[in-house]
Amino acid sequence: MNKFKQFLATLVIIFISFNLYAGASDDVNTSSDDFETSTFEDEIYDPLEGINRAVFGFNNVADKVILEPAAKGYKKLPSPIQSGIGNFINNLKLPLVALNQLLQGQGKNAAESTGRFFVNSTVGIFGLIDVADDFGLEQKEEDFGQTLATWGVGDGFYIVLPLFGPSNVRDTTGMMLTMMTDPVNSYASRQGEGWAIPLRTAANAVDQRSKIIDQVNALRDNSVDYYAAVRSSYYQNRKAAIMNTDDDILTPLPLISIEFE
Amino acid sequence: MQILRTISFAIILLLPFNAYSDEAKNWLKTEIDKIIYAYQNNDLPNENRFLMIEQTINNNFAGSGIAKFVAGKSWNGASKDTKLEYIKLFKRHLALNIASMMQGYSNQNYELKNSDYDEKNNVSMIDMEIYSDTGSILVTWRVKKSKNRYFVIDLLVADISLVVTKRSEFNSMLKTVDYNLEKFNAKLIAQNDLSYSKIIN
Repeated sequence: MNKFKQFLATLVIIFISFNLYAGASDDVNTSSDDFETSTFEDEIYDPLEGINRAVFGFNNVADKVILEPAAKGYKKLPSPIQSGIGNFINNLKLPLVALNQLLQGQGKNAAESTGRFFVNSTVGIFGLIDVADDFGLEQKEEDFGQTLATWGVGDGFYIVLPLFGPSNVRDTTGMMLTMMTDPVNSYASRQGEGWAIPLRTAANAVDQRSKIIDQVNALRDNSVDYYAAVRSSYYQNRKAAIMNTDDDILTPLPLISIEFE
Repeated sequence: MQILRTISFAIILLLPFNAYSDEAKNWLKTEIDKIIYAYQNNDLPNENRFLMIEQTINNNFAGSGIAKFVAGKSWNGASKDTKLEYIKLFKRHLALNIASMMQGYSNQNYELKNSDYDEKNNVSMIDMEIYSDTGSILVTWRVKKSKNRYFVIDLLVADISLVVTKRSEFNSMLKTVDYNLEKFNAKLIAQNDLSYSKIIN
C-alpha cells in the first residue's frame, strides 16, 4: 500500500513539475519597457569618436587592400601549413600567456600553459604541431589588458589604433606592456634579428584575419553603421575574455518579446 | 533511503529542463539543416537561395521582438505604420545578415553540443561548433519557447551577440536622425538594397 502511495505521489510530482514548467515556458510576457531600460549602447565611452572614425576609415581601406587579400591568399595554402603557422605563432605567445595567468592568480592555468609550451616546443617540433591539446593541455588566451582588468583597472575610453584596430586605454597599455616584455621579441632584438618582430606581428594578423573572413565581410556589408558594429563587437569580445566565463552567462540577455510572431 | 528519495525528487524536478533543452536542440538542428541545404544545392539561383533562407529565418526568429528591442528608445515615438514598416525592413535585414554570414559555407561539419536551460529567463542556450580544416568556431543560439513552439531570440558568434551588436549599431545611426524611426527606415531600405545586391551577385 505504501509503495502504491509512493508511486502515486511520484506521478503527481512528475505531472505538476511538467505542467509548472510548460506553463512557465508559455508565459512569455512582453515587458512594456524591455526596449528602453537597457543601456548596452551607452556603455561604450567614445569621446574621440570623430578621430576614431577617421582612423577606422583608414584601417578599413588598409584591410581591404592589404590584409584581406593576404588572408584570402593564406587560406589557399594547404590546411596543414596554415595550422602549422597558426600553431607556431600561438606557441610563441605562451610564455606571456602563462605570466599573465600567474599575475591573475590562475596558478593551474599558468602551469598548463607552461606545460603546453614545453610539450609543443619539443614533441610538437618548435610549436608547429599542437600535440599538447591531445594531452588535455588546452589553449587559453590571457594578456596584460586582461590582467589589468582583473586588477580593477577600468576600460578608459575607446580608441581605434592605426593598423592595430579597436582598443581602449587599458588594452592599449596592455599591448605596450606585451611589446616591452615579450621574451621572443627581446631575444630577436638581442640577436640583431629585429626584422623578425614586424614579420611575426604581420603573420599573426594574417593568420587571425583568415579565420574571420566571412564574419568580417558579413558585418561590413550589412551594417548600417560598421564603425558602431565593430566597436560593440570589440567590447563584447573583450568582456568575455576578461571574465573567462561562459558566453551564455556573460552577455546581457535581452528580454525579447514574441507577441508579434 | 531518505537520501535516495531526495535524489529521485531532484531528478524528477530537473527532468523537464533536460527535456526542453533536447527538444529545442532537435528543433534547431532541423531548421539549421534547412539553411544548409540551401547552400549545398549548387543549382539553386542566388535569389531563390536567399528567399529560402529568408523564409526559414522569418519563421524561426523572434524577428518582431528583436526589431523592437534593437530600435531602443525610438520605438515609443513612432506611429503604428512606421513600426510595421520598420519590422518588415528589420526582418529582411536580419535575413540578409545571416545569409551573408553563411556565404562562405563549404560543407563544413557542425555539431550541436551543450544545451542549457536558463530557468530564470525561460531560454535554452545551445552551443554549436562549426569545424573547418584549421579549427572550429563556436556559435551559441538562444532559443525561447512560446505557445508550444520555439523562436531564436539571439545568436552569439565567438562571444559576440548579434542582437546586442545590432542594437548598438542602430542606436548610433538613430542618433543622427534624432531617434526618428521613419527617417531611419529610409536608411534601412538603402542598406537592405545594398546588402541584397551583394548577396545575389
